[in-house]
Amino acid sequence: MTKYASTALSVALAGLLPAALAAQEEGTLRLATWDDEESLEIIESIAAAFEAAHPGTDVQIEAYGDGYDTKLSAAMGAGNAPDVMYMWNFPAYAASLMPLNDFIERDGAEMDIDDISPALLDVSRIDGNVYGMPAGFTTHVIFYNRDLLEEAGVAEPEAGWTWSDLREKAAAASDPENQVYGFAVDARPDPYDFEQFYWSNGTQFISDDGTEIDGYMNSPEGAEVLNMFADMIASGEAVALNIGDDVSGSALFRGGNLAMFEGAMWNKGGIDESGIDYGIVGLPAFEGKPVKSAINSSAVSISADTDNPELAWDFVKFFSSPEAVAMRVNDLPVRASVAAETGQADDPMLAPFFEMLEVSEGTSPAFLKHEDWARMQENLSAAIEATMIEGGNAQAHLDDAVRRSARFLR
Amino acid sequence: MTVTTDTVVATSSRRRRRPVSHMVPWLFISPWIIGFVAFTLGPMLFSLYMSFFDWPIVGERTFIGLDNYVTMTTLDPQFWESLWITVKFALLFVPLNIAVGFLLALLLNAGLKGTGVLRTLFYLPSVISGVALVTIFSWLYSYRFGVLNYLLGFVGIDGPNWLGDPSWALVAIVFASLWGVGSTMLILLAGLQAIPRELYEAARISGVPAWARTLYITLPMLGPMLLFSIITSIISAFQQLTLALLLTEGGPLGSTYFFAMYIYDNAFKYFDMGYAAAMSWIMFGIVLLLSLAVMKSSSAWVHYEGEVRGKKGDKS
Amino acid sequence: MTRPLLYGAAIFMAALFVAPFVWTLLTAVKTEAELYTFPPSFLPETWRWENFHTAWTKLPFTTFLTNSTIVVVLSTVGQLFSSSLVAFGFARFRFPGRDVLFVVVLASMMIPWDVKMIPLYMQFNFLGWINTLKPLIVPAWFGEAFFIFLLRQYIMSVPMEIDEAARMDGANSWQLYWRIHLPLMLPALVLVGTFQFMNAWNDYLGPLIFLNDQSKYTLTLGLSMFKGLHGQDFISIAAITVVLCLPPLVLFFFAQRYIMDSALGSSVKG
Repeated sequence: MTKYASTALSVALAGLLPAALAAQEEGTLRLATWDDEESLEIIESIAAAFEAAHPGTDVQIEAYGDGYDTKLSAAMGAGNAPDVMYMWNFPAYAASLMPLNDFIERDGAEMDIDDISPALLDVSRIDGNVYGMPAGFTTHVIFYNRDLLEEAGVAEPEAGWTWSDLREKAAAASDPENQVYGFAVDARPDPYDFEQFYWSNGTQFISDDGTEIDGYMNSPEGAEVLNMFADMIASGEAVALNIGDDVSGSALFRGGNLAMFEGAMWNKGGIDESGIDYGIVGLPAFEGKPVKSAINSSAVSISADTDNPELAWDFVKFFSSPEAVAMRVNDLPVRASVAAETGQADDPMLAPFFEMLEVSEGTSPAFLKHEDWARMQENLSAAIEATMIEGGNAQAHLDDAVRRSARFLR
Repeated sequence: MTVTTDTVVATSSRRRRRPVSHMVPWLFISPWIIGFVAFTLGPMLFSLYMSFFDWPIVGERTFIGLDNYVTMTTLDPQFWESLWITVKFALLFVPLNIAVGFLLALLLNAGLKGTGVLRTLFYLPSVISGVALVTIFSWLYSYRFGVLNYLLGFVGIDGPNWLGDPSWALVAIVFASLWGVGSTMLILLAGLQAIPRELYEAARISGVPAWARTLYITLPMLGPMLLFSIITSIISAFQQLTLALLLTEGGPLGSTYFFAMYIYDNAFKYFDMGYAAAMSWIMFGIVLLLSLAVMKSSSAWVHYEGEVRGKKGDKS
Repeated sequence: MTRPLLYGAAIFMAALFVAPFVWTLLTAVKTEAELYTFPPSFLPETWRWENFHTAWTKLPFTTFLTNSTIVVVLSTVGQLFSSSLVAFGFARFRFPGRDVLFVVVLASMMIPWDVKMIPLYMQFNFLGWINTLKPLIVPAWFGEAFFIFLLRQYIMSVPMEIDEAARMDGANSWQLYWRIHLPLMLPALVLVGTFQFMNAWNDYLGPLIFLNDQSKYTLTLGLSMFKGLHGQDFISIAAITVVLCLPPLVLFFFAQRYIMDSALGSSVKG
């Protein structure tokens, strides 16, 4: 009823005051982010540039740090979502987001949408609807400490390497007595990221149509991945993370206690600051199989109930424009043109990220395939943790996870 | 002591005084009634309503009757596991919290020099906000680099992997929770002040030893505050979330996956508000029953110096 | 019991309780590099006191401090007044439905906030209170169950004869509350003030849910902005945490003597 009333009112107003139409794209835009203090400046400068280009608009930045999901779900649940927001968990929020297909169709050419990696757009697509425009991304790579590898007398890793190469180097570099470790295995990884190892070993968590996990989550290839990591811990090649303390792999690497570590763009800034002499290489492959990486993208989405969709879309367009993409220095550019122009694509310290993006096209993360994936994933996490603590026996733990998840697939 | 009070009431009711209007008590409690109706009753009933729905944070809501309640009790093993973990935690935490709080309150009441400073220091951990306290504890408990195991090493004890060993993690969380004992300590300390000193004088003169004075005077007279501490400790034990969420994330192997954390995950990880609401109401029922049982039993062990007694003939 | 033994116990406990604070303080003045040395060093190599200034100016903490102060002062005053009033009503009168109502008071503490949050948000949104400090202040003026229960228990341990005497002197119910009981419950009121102060000062979820704009943020919300999804600024967190502890500690140090300063213990002469 309110909606009709306000529509009627605005029609009446528009009739009375034609000038009001011209002012349609003015106003305040609420923009919610998960940025912390360090990365907030970047988004503030992008917003300022947008305001400068759109006189009369005011972008109100709402930064919630790691309380982002709690805040967003409260606001959305109560029907008071911000106009524009950072987004990655599309399945959970899609019902409250505005599909952007029509906008993209209208403005795609102007935006040069083909410049944006299709792999990144895939992550924000559900049932053919695009719910967010990618603004930045990262893939996963291996950081290695040059000095530690040299001390151990092993060669630096090169693109195209395998897990057995990594294990050899890790074994050589490991010196637990002196608190130096070859590699770090997270006993409680984010399953979203962990699926890259499943993909790389030729399997996945859940079938393409999202109806089966038996034979996927607990496939022999999956168990092989878990057992390999557990074995690396047991043999002393790797240190286990997240069993009894919250020391992170990046902290150990920054402290010079870790020869190699699997990480993403969000780790790079801190490592640069630490002054460690390090290199970056793509993820290792499983013998004879193509390597894949998880893709973590930050996209911006528009609330389905925004009062000002055109202005919101203008902002989203601006956010993924070459100008704004170039301003985001804390993650990687979603536009090939920007990557080429800034020389990032050829920078040996960044190129592996782009290579990983290229080889990972066509992967489809589990959470896009089943609405109860978040619950099933909890059982998978438990299986991974149990395998790492026990030092193996992955098949039994994974079978158990599948059994406990079965009720969601009925 | 009981005799004294009864005599007082008996003598006083013989005297005459102005009757109190029926409206007066309602005026006194009216702020709470207004606040309850305005800010609490609505959300409570709304959450009960949600519990009968499949209620994602966004999107279609479907009425499913008692399905949430049936699913959690018959199909969801995690429900029972988390409930059991929380009960174990409460069984450890509530008695320890009361005992340690009581002993500290006695210590601060002993008239030592510098008690003011001590009181402030004992309360200090309660002043530090949850997130920072959790960071500190993860440093203390850390298996490889932790201060605790480092110190234990001096006395020849090979400390366990506190937060990494499923059989120790719950104990570690109990210890960490006890750092917040300052509140209970202060409440009991305030309660101690309300005990008439002449009771102790009289007992001392009659040659009653210190331990007996504590047992037969302090404990019964502290009853009202003990009752408060027990009930609020039970409530907070069942709602324990911060430590599990930030310190162990429910692990290792789910050994600290508290009931409240499972509610939280249902709400903010699975966005299933209906299920979270249904679980909350189960928890509500359990805590309410426990509290009522404690309240009922309290008439046997709590002595109210100023209770308004008697059904009839009392005009206040 | 021997005094030295008591002192020993007191000092041991104090050391145990102070350790976390000392640790936070030492972290706050370390350098980033020192934070990641293993095993961790206890004392910093160089004491970087400027970390406090750096952290404070990274975000508009002075604004946050103003907001926190407004919330804390107004909510504490409201809580002291309303909960003592209500507690007096429950403790000193007999009226139909009192015991049932009191169980409702207790019950209102038992529903976890997770599921009350969305309906509350809707309600405050309806009232136009979102992105204002009102949701953090106004409810405190209507008494919170925890404090009502606490004060009720305290009042009920005050002997009835005090009331009787005052009534004999012609005091009405309000005067009885205001002149007799309010001063008598001073120790408990100090507790209520302390706890409400700490709750409001350290509250993170309330401000997170109900505030949008950085200019409205409170200190804890500012503090949480040093914690992102993929890492945190430990030194700034430690520095701000230390600063956050100081005002309540100083206030508590001056207030705590009144916990012991009970008129009751001595006023009742048999």
